[in-house]
Amino acid sequence: MASSIDDLKSAIKKALPDLDMVIAWAAGPDPLSHTPLFITEEADIERIEWDPRCSQNLAGYLPGLRGKKVGIVVKGCDARSLVELLQEKLIDREDVTIFGLHCTGAVDARTARKALGSLRGLESVSIDGGTASFSVSGESKTLPLAGVLQKKCFTCTGADAEVCDHFIGEHGQPPQVTDIPATTLEELQAMSMEERLHFWEDQMSRCIRCYACRSACPLCVCQDHCAAQSREPHWVDQTDHPREKLMFQAIHALHTAGRCTECGECERACPMGLPIMTLKQALNLSIQDLFDYKAGTDPDQAPPLFEFREEEKNIKERDW
Amino acid sequence: MPTARYIANDKLMPWLLSLTETRQVLAPVQAGGQTLFAPLTADSQLDINGLADASAKAALLPRCETLFEFHYSKSEGIPSKTELEVRETLPDQDTFLFGARPCDAKGFTVFDRVYDGGTRRDIYYCTRRDKTIVATLACTDPADTCFCNRVGGGPGDTDGSDILFTPVDGGYVIEPVTERGEAFLAEQPLVEAEDRKEEARKVREKVAEAMPDEGSLGGAKGEVLELFDDKEFWGDVTAKCLSCGACSYLCPTCYCFNMTDESNGDDGVRVRTWDNCMSFQFTLEGSGHNPRDGKAQRMRNRIGHKFSYYPELHDGNLACVGCGRCIVHCPVSMDVRAIVAQARDRALAKQEHAND
Amino acid sequence: MSVNEGKELRIIGFLCNWCSYAGADTAGVGRFAQPTDLRIVRLPCTGRINPLFIVRAFMNGADGVLVSGCHPRDCHYSEGNFYARRRLEVLKALLPVIGVDPGRFEYTWVSASEGQRWRSVVTSFTEQVHALGPMPSFKSGTSLDMCLCQMDQTQVL
Repeated sequence: MASSIDDLKSAIKKALPDLDMVIAWAAGPDPLSHTPLFITEEADIERIEWDPRCSQNLAGYLPGLRGKKVGIVVKGCDARSLVELLQEKLIDREDVTIFGLHCTGAVDARTARKALGSLRGLESVSIDGGTASFSVSGESKTLPLAGVLQKKCFTCTGADAEVCDHFIGEHGQPPQVTDIPATTLEELQAMSMEERLHFWEDQMSRCIRCYACRSACPLCVCQDHCAAQSREPHWVDQTDHPREKLMFQAIHALHTAGRCTECGECERACPMGLPIMTLKQALNLSIQDLFDYKAGTDPDQAPPLFEFREEEKNIKERDW
Repeated sequence: MPTARYIANDKLMPWLLSLTETRQVLAPVQAGGQTLFAPLTADSQLDINGLADASAKAALLPRCETLFEFHYSKSEGIPSKTELEVRETLPDQDTFLFGARPCDAKGFTVFDRVYDGGTRRDIYYCTRRDKTIVATLACTDPADTCFCNRVGGGPGDTDGSDILFTPVDGGYVIEPVTERGEAFLAEQPLVEAEDRKEEARKVREKVAEAMPDEGSLGGAKGEVLELFDDKEFWGDVTAKCLSCGACSYLCPTCYCFNMTDESNGDDGVRVRTWDNCMSFQFTLEGSGHNPRDGKAQRMRNRIGHKFSYYPELHDGNLACVGCGRCIVHCPVSMDVRAIVAQARDRALAKQEHAND
Repeated sequence: MSVNEGKELRIIGFLCNWCSYAGADTAGVGRFAQPTDLRIVRLPCTGRINPLFIVRAFMNGADGVLVSGCHPRDCHYSEGNFYARRRLEVLKALLPVIGVDPGRFEYTWVSASEGQRWRSVVTSFTEQVHALGPMPSFKSGTSLDMCLCQMDQTQVL
């Protein structure tokens, strides 16, 4: 059972007088995707929405609001980004008031739009068991989760915000998704090296270099001063070659290695629907193996690439 | 004497493919789950249901355009002297752009005023424009995010097009809009269909009338300008903006560019690429000063440019065609319609209070 | 995309100044015969290596990349190679995902006196890269190729 919206609203109402603002979700122009709401007055609280359309991770706004007393509403995956920001001391714990939720799954607006056809008259969305129900003009359309949820939800490691000040509702299990389609990583593993290179060349030919992936990433704090846009050093050239765009994805993946919590914002934000979380997933699997480490679980840990050990028990070096 | 023609649904793809023998044909095709404009081949999956995800602007303003190539070489007789050879690279391909929507074509008129402005003509843009025939497909199912009717356009408009295709029962009525369009159609093996012109006109009229009328967004130029110093307004409106650039790159009217030289040893090219005013680097000066170093100022510029500065310079024509792509693809669902409406309300409220 | 046509493949070596570069020099002084595909870039320490150097090298057409530094615990700067070891292990996970055969990248430790070891590392790594052949090319050629329209024209706009 997802956390109750009324409980959430009353918790925020209570805390708001001591805060500069609270960030939650509200209805926006897209019936399948709720939009961030910056609450400064009690009247704003009425606009809050909480349902599977609250896909956006709001944690990314926090580093830019440092110094202010900010309340934030987070799902399980969002909270892991928050923990990562705490680990790296990009936000101050005492200035953040965390409203944690139990999430039943987040809708992927792109796939849901295709599955539903017309969105006219969409009133509500709820998730129960293994299906999602879309109420359209009074009628309910039920669809399997695998066709409408964000890919990250298929491998959810925890639907509850673990680190928080106020947990709303009851703890529960991640969404039960059946018939999960093969991930891009699995598809790549079946390809030869050359096929993989051409796969990315094809994907990156559609990349428009908007850097929405970077802007949406809660961990990308360099933003305006990103290495990928420097001329000195000239990491990436200005031409439209897919190689340059693949290079940017390599930069993004390596700069978030050991930090990425697979919140999925990069893929959600990409206007071209490119499977860019794949690179980060691969690195996360490797980091799990090498350092027994998972990002976003413990605010007192440090990302593995920030430190080292003299003896690395999981690194098997090559014998020459 | 310009005349209407007709093509049946099942004849459309074969006809388009036949055109590829003499020129490049650009059309909306399925690519990786999206619908994007690409050169048409026999393997392409043509997708003309609804609006393509990216605009057709790359047909006239490519993402990356080569302006010239350069080569350095040592002089034969004098080793200390370096020769520089520069060769202009002008576009040279005839193109038939099929399946642009009226909003895409109207976007081209926004570019025409800037890149083909009387005494100042951009040779690259103009060459491409002259070599491209724009065949627009009238809309029959505008999305909730479409608002062409609020910015001086419409689902069946012909501004910027050479030819208009209107879906009717069984196929399309094809009407020339410009002389270039008529000259092209005259050479095509298409049946004449003067008697179906009225049917096509009725289809377009019906679609236009069904679009919700929530008031024009034109004429806001004074109000938008009035809020220039209103930091609170622009700060509030951009609180959720990520300052990415998806909106600019998908927009059919955004035309700002960057020029860079890229070289590899002695050979190189000067390229012109899309630039985007949402980026911090857009106004970053060599001294390090940046007049628009925050997203609030950058969004103010974007809205100002489209709804105030451009119309001021160009007879009231807006630099927004209401395609709604910025709304559909924005990761945080920014809504340009709402921002302009809020700007007007705020400016009007200020005016009222000014008289208190 | 391989930048070299002919017998030699292009292998880039990132060597730390204090141990491996000196070790390579020792091999040279000892006049050990070894393949000449490897071209060295000298760095103060393997800790200086940004894993993106290696990615960029492959994107630019390198057929193989070798990194060599001081043995762990013998780093001239005490800790540089410890960081390098972690970063380069993580890089090894990225390369196969983007289509670079993991056999094209190795990192190793060669000290200043290990001329013989340097010779055998270079020889066996060069053989390893030759067995894989030249790095596959991008269909679009190089950036310059693409800008001058010498590329596959069916890409989306």
